[in-house]
Amino acid sequence: MAGLLILLLFLLSGTVLQQTLNLPLPASILGMILLLAFLLIRGKTPASLSQISKALSPLLPLFIIPVSVGIVTQKSLLAEHGLVLFIILTVSIVPGALVSAWIMKGGKSDL
Amino acid sequence: MIASLLNMPLFWATLTIAGFVIGQHIYRLSGNNPFTQPVLLGLLLVVVVVELSGTSYHTYMQGGDYLHQMLGPVVVMLAVPMAEFMASMRRQWLRILLAVSLGSGATIVVAGGLTYWYLADSVVANTIMTKSVTTPVAVAIAEQVGGIPALSSAFVMITGLLGALMVPSILKLARITEPQAQGVALGVCAHAIGTARALELGQQQAAYSAMAMTLTGTLHAIILPLVL
Repeated sequence: MAGLLILLLFLLSGTVLQQTLNLPLPASILGMILLLAFLLIRGKTPASLSQISKALSPLLPLFIIPVSVGIVTQKSLLAEHGLVLFIILTVSIVPGALVSAWIMKGGKSDL
Repeated sequence: MIASLLNMPLFWATLTIAGFVIGQHIYRLSGNNPFTQPVLLGLLLVVVVVELSGTSYHTYMQGGDYLHQMLGPVVVMLAVPMAEFMASMRRQWLRILLAVSLGSGATIVVAGGLTYWYLADSVVANTIMTKSVTTPVAVAIAEQVGGIPALSSAFVMITGLLGALMVPSILKLARITEPQAQGVALGVCAHAIGTARALELGQQQAAYSAMAMTLTGTLHAIILPLVL
C-alpha cells in the first residue's frame, strides 16, 4: 500500500502546485513530473512503487471506460462529421510513421 | 425494480467492471489479438446498455466516477516506466528524442490542421491533437485545453487501432525494416495498441514501442497545454 500512498502524495502535490501557482498543466501531469524528478534523483524505483505499478497497469483500460462512454453525448457531431474525422485520423498517421521511422533507421537497435 | 436499479451508481460501476471482465475473456479467447482490446468490448457493452435503457451520461457517470477517479494516480504512475526508459536510452537519446518529438509532432499537426481547416472549430481541432497519447493523459490534456474528453478518448482508441493496422504496412512500402524504427513508429503512432502489435513483430520492437509511447505521452502532456 505504500506505493499507492506515494502516488496519491504526488498527485496531491501536483494539485496543490497547480492551484497555488495557477499553472496551465493538468494536476496529474505535474504529479507525474514531480515523481519522475524524485525517481531520477533517487536513482532507483522503490519496490512498493514497482509493485503498485504492476498491479494497476493491467487495470488502466478499465479506468478509461467511464470517460469513453461520454461518446454517447457526441452523437450529432459524429453523425455529421464522423467520416471526415476518421479519414483525417487515418491520413495523419502516415507522416508520423514515416518521420519517426526514418529518423530511427540509422540508429543502433540496442534496447 | 429495474428502474430503481438503473438509478443506482453502484449498478453502473458494477456493469463497467463486468463489461471489462467479459472483454478480457474474449481478448484471451482471440489469442490476445490487438484488435479485440478488452476496453473496446467493455466499452461497447456499457454504451449499448446506457443507450437501450435511455440512461443519461450524467446518471451513468455517478457510478462510472468511482473508476474514473483512478485516472489521476494512474497518470502519476507513468513516471515509473518513464524513469526506467530514461536510464536505458542514454546512448542514443538525441536520435530517440528527435524521432519521437518530430514524428508525433508531424502526426498531430496534420490532424489538428486538417480538422481546423475542415470544421473551423478549435475545440474539436484541439481535441484531435491529443490523439497520439495514452487515454488517461489525453483526457487530462483535453480537460486542460478546453477540449472534449469523451471525444479525445474516441480519437485515441481509433488512432491506436488504425496505427497498429497501418504502420507495419507503411514501413514495408517505405522499405524500412530496422526493429528500432518499427518499434518507435508504432509507439509514436499507436501508443498502447501499437505496442501490443509491436510485440507480435518481436521483443525489440516492443521495447522501443513502449519507450516511444511513454516519451510521446510525457512530451505532449507538457507541451500541448502550453501551446493550445
